[in-house]
Amino acid sequence: MFKELDPILHSQLRLAAMSLLISVKEAEFTYIREKTNATAGNLSVQLNKLKDVGYIDITKQFKDNYPQTLCKITTKGIDAFEQYVQDLQVYLNKE
Amino acid sequence: MDKEKSLSEKESLALIAATIQAAKGGYYHDSGLGAILWGTAISMAGFLTFFTLYFKWEIKFDWWFLVLFALIPQIFISVREMKEKVVRTHTGRALDIVWTIFGVSIFAAIFYMYLAPHMLMKFMEEDGRILFSKVIATGEISDYRLTFVPSPGSLFLLLYALPTIITGVVQKFWPMIIGAIITYLFFIISLYTRNPIDQLLMGVSGLVNWLIPGLILRNNYRKARNNAHV
Repeated sequence: MFKELDPILHSQLRLAAMSLLISVKEAEFTYIREKTNATAGNLSVQLNKLKDVGYIDITKQFKDNYPQTLCKITTKGIDAFEQYVQDLQVYLNKE
Repeated sequence: MDKEKSLSEKESLALIAATIQAAKGGYYHDSGLGAILWGTAISMAGFLTFFTLYFKWEIKFDWWFLVLFALIPQIFISVREMKEKVVRTHTGRALDIVWTIFGVSIFAAIFYMYLAPHMLMKFMEEDGRILFSKVIATGEISDYRLTFVPSPGSLFLLLYALPTIITGVVQKFWPMIIGAIITYLFFIISLYTRNPIDQLLMGVSGLVNWLIPGLILRNNYRKARNNAHV
């Protein structure tokens, strides 16, 4: 019996954002947008979904009078990402 | 990217691998300015001290004090780079710590260089001992006071190479690895050479350890920025 893949992570943009954030300490919104080639609106919606389930922290602040949005993966997010990768491996090994 | 596009299992793994790879490379955080600044300062101080000692210039000024002036532009460079950073990596943070500890170690080594011989003389006097020096040709004997630790240049060469080789290996940046290996070779050579040559070795190490890698970093950084703006 296959375990269901985490539906929050099993989406292209959210998974890309999580894959970026797992490999860095923290990243600006603009950096994630540049790396994922997503539109600002779509990325904002998807990041908020990740935030709502506690996978990432989003901090909004001002830098040189401009708004700055910083994203950082949480411990819960790291656990979920690792579990997702393990579940993927189970799927692929069974094929 | 499409909104909420679902993926197959294989696509998911490929996406994770590709994104992590994208986060690793192609983004130069280091502008190379710090390496260029310190490489220039160390090289100048080393070469000028070498020329002063070798050609017996009548200058009482210690050229190494010039290196302290590099601290001022370094503060501006650090603040600017911090502002430009859009991502903070774990590796970057670890390397920042290595370079900060290196800076502290250099200052500690300067204290050691001046204080250790003074304390050695003091302890010898407390033990009722004193050093003499004898001119073999004339037989003249006089008091001898140690003012420097033996071969201080060797100590600094050893320190110079350490953060550079760590950065080079972690970042897989060959110019720094090669520069650090050359500096380690200079350390060995300096154990057999007199102070003026040690100063020359320190000057060259400033070039190979920092200035040249810094210029290459700067070039890479500019290219990466230009590509990002295309």
